Amino acid sequence: MSVVTANPELRIAARWLGLSGWLQWPTYVLLVVALYGAFLYAPTERVMGEVQRIFYFHVGAAFGAFLAFFVVFIAGIGYLRTRRVFWDQMAAASVEVGVLFTTIVLTTGPLWAKPVWNTWFPWGDPRVMTTLVLWLIYMAYLILRSSLPEGERKYKFCAVFGIIGFIDVPIVYMSTRWWRTIHPVVITSSGANLEPRMSQALLVAVAACALVLVVLILLRSAMRLNALVAERLAQEVQDRRRVAQ
Amino acid sequence: MKALRLIWILTQKDLRIEYRSRQAFLTTLFFALLILIVFNFAFDPGDEAIRAAAPGILWVSLLFPGVIQLNRSFQAEREEGTLHGLILAPVDRGVLFLGKFLANWLLLTLVDLLILGAFVVFYNLSFSTRLLWILLLLVLVGAVFSSVGTLFAAMVSGIRTRDVLLPILLFPILVPIVIAAVNATRELLGSGELEFLHQWVKLLVVSDVVFLAGSFLLFDFVVED
Repeated sequence: MSVVTANPELRIAARWLGLSGWLQWPTYVLLVVALYGAFLYAPTERVMGEVQRIFYFHVGAAFGAFLAFFVVFIAGIGYLRTRRVFWDQMAAASVEVGVLFTTIVLTTGPLWAKPVWNTWFPWGDPRVMTTLVLWLIYMAYLILRSSLPEGERKYKFCAVFGIIGFIDVPIVYMSTRWWRTIHPVVITSSGANLEPRMSQALLVAVAACALVLVVLILLRSAMRLNALVAERLAQEVQDRRRVAQ
Repeated sequence: MKALRLIWILTQKDLRIEYRSRQAFLTTLFFALLILIVFNFAFDPGDEAIRAAAPGILWVSLLFPGVIQLNRSFQAEREEGTLHGLILAPVDRGVLFLGKFLANWLLLTLVDLLILGAFVVFYNLSFSTRLLWILLLLVLVGAVFSSVGTLFAAMVSGIRTRDVLLPILLFPILVPIVIAAVNATRELLGSGELEFLHQWVKLLVVSDVVFLAGSFLLFDFVVED
């Protein structure tokens, strides 16, 4: 029996690698266009100046971060319903890439906030709070994962946590929105009154970040699946050696 | 309904076990009281700082002990291996969850009630209808805490680092609940009109429904073996 038929995950990983392989080209193109859009095409913001240009990738990364969490949610459900490992590996990969994107949001945010609002971290802003909680939930997921030994129990528990975390996010947003109406903070609402060139640049940046996310998740998931199979095969070799002795 | 009766039997079992030793209840209560007191030492004795932080202090004092109580609630199952016995019983896993959830909710609310009493004494509050509203908040928050908490406690009951892992998992999920509870309490303890209270209560009720349903549905996956 060939190794490939015994380990269907290999085919899935190969498919994802192939997909990411050709998806990377439009991603590169879109990234270049997005860079041009953010730094050259979009006009300079009147009040904030050049530092505002960080906003295009800040929002893009944020969109990616939340999109990744949605993937975690779907993958969690997928695993619980089918018990097929590739769902779990996709969830884990999405968490890893999602943490990366969320960290980018939480670092570009303060870099933008300090010169514009004279504060590194605007507590009370609903989007900031929600992103912070998202980061915490991501971290908790990773800590949970590292506390459990490999196996179905680990995959089930992580799926459950991912699902609970996802349904929590809208509740976090609602609560921080109401919190803000009670304690209004001096925050400008960016995105509402954008010049056309700015919204175009934003759209391209968001699309580029979304594509980067997809490619990274595909790559990471494929890597994890292959590593899983490699681990399984190594274990089998060890077992056979022990039996043969 | 047979299911309701079964749930109540399970709840009674947990409450009865707890009543016999009262260990989890007393340690939880004392821990909460301790935090309440330590917070008062942590702030300047000047009136302003403490009174402004009072709502937050109340709820933080309830969070950590609550987590300990949740972990303790699965202690018997863990140490005596009785979880297998429960699973083998011809009851729906959902019933098991609701039984545990109800027991945890009741125990937690009892502790919260007593801590509220200590809080009233420490902060020199007067007994008014507003305190009844805070009681309602305790009940509502207790429900969310117990629903997701029971689910997560079952998950971590087999993990060595469960005492630190349960707060790590639970607190990020509970952030909106804490925001709602603290802000509602702040309004209630203040002297002004109650503008936003209904909003926060609404949020808590919605969270209760959502998380109770979610935890109920997902509990199956957490106790299979």
